[in-house]
Amino acid sequence: MDYIDPHIHMVSRTTDDYETLARMGCVAMSEPAFWAGFDRGSVESFRDYFRQLTEFEPKRAAQFGIKHYTWLCINAKEAENVSLSREVIAMIPEFLEASNVLGIGEIGLNKNTKNESTIFLEHVDLAARFNQQILIHTPHLEDKYQGTKMILDMLVSDARIERSRVLVDHVEEHTIQEVLDRGFWAGMTLYPITKCTPARAADMIERFGTERLMANSAGDWGPSKPTAIPDLIMELKRRGHSRELIRKVVYENPCEFFSQSKNFKAPIAPS
Amino acid sequence: MSQDPKPPARSAEKVLSEEFFIARSKILDLAATLDRLERADGSLEALHQLKLLEQGMEILLDDQSDKAKRVQLLMSRPYDPDWRKNYGLH
Repeated sequence: MDYIDPHIHMVSRTTDDYETLARMGCVAMSEPAFWAGFDRGSVESFRDYFRQLTEFEPKRAAQFGIKHYTWLCINAKEAENVSLSREVIAMIPEFLEASNVLGIGEIGLNKNTKNESTIFLEHVDLAARFNQQILIHTPHLEDKYQGTKMILDMLVSDARIERSRVLVDHVEEHTIQEVLDRGFWAGMTLYPITKCTPARAADMIERFGTERLMANSAGDWGPSKPTAIPDLIMELKRRGHSRELIRKVVYENPCEFFSQSKNFKAPIAPS
Repeated sequence: MSQDPKPPARSAEKVLSEEFFIARSKILDLAATLDRLERADGSLEALHQLKLLEQGMEILLDDQSDKAKRVQLLMSRPYDPDWRKNYGLH
C-alpha cells in the first residue's frame, strides 16, 4: 500500500533505507529539523543542516521515487541556549522559499523549562508572521503529559494560529484526546520502546477514529524503525480493518494536512 | 477526502484468542524482571521507580477501564495550570 511518513529523520538514515522504504510503499515523507545527538556550536551549523534538508535529502529521496519535504527550526533540546536559538530563528526565513519546506518544526518542549517555552513562543511567532504550518514535538516519558498541556496552552493563546494547520506529534493514550478535542492534528509515533507500538496505535485509531490522526516512524539515529508504518498497516489489516480506513490514516490524512502548505503536491492520484 | 471509515467490531473472544500469547509473553517478561530485581543485591524499599511499577500493576488488576491512559498518567509529572505565571511568561 502506498503511504506517507509524516515524520522521519532521513539525515540519520542510509541510502539503503530510502530504497527499503520505497519498496515498502513509501511515496512521500516529511523530515522535521531535530537534535543531532550533540549540541551544535553556531548558527552556521544550522545553516549547513538546513541546506542538507532542502538540497541534498530531496535528491537522495528522488532516486527512489520518494518526494521529500521538510520543516525548519532549532529543536527543544538546543533551545536551552536562548541566544543561539534566536540567531537560528532569525536565519530560518532564508530557507522558507525552498521548494520542499512545509513549515516550522519540530518545535516543542523537552524538559518543559522556561527557556524552552520562551523559544517555543518565538517559533510560533515566526510561523505566524510567515504564514507557515507548524509541526510539534511533545516531550518523552514522564514529561509528555505536562509538556503537551503547556504546548497547547501556548498555541491557543496566539489568536493568529489556525489549529487545523498544526500537527502535534508523539501523542499517546493520555494526550491524544485533548489534542484532537482542541482542534489540532495528532501524530502517533511508532517507536520500539519510548513511544507507541503499532498495536497501541491501532487501539487509538479504534477509539478516536481517523479524523485528523496520522502515524509516523520518527526514524532517526537512535533505536527506531523507519519501516514502522508498514508494521501499523499490517496490524490494522490483521484486525480486519478496511483498506479505506488504513489508507485514510497513512496516506489521505497526511495529504490533507500537508496540502495546507503551498509547496505540497499529492504524490499519487486519488483512488 | 473520504468520510471517517468505521472500524470493524471484534468480539471479546476474538480479541482474546488473537492477543492471548502476546499478553502471556508480556506477563512473563514482567515476572522475569521482578525475579531479576529480587535476585539483585541491595534494598528496593525506597525505590520510587519500583513503587511506580507496583502501582501500575495494581491498575492492570483493578476493575476500571482506560488502563493504558491511567498507567500513562501514573508515570507522568503533574501539570500546573499556572506554569506561565510561574515562569514569568505572559
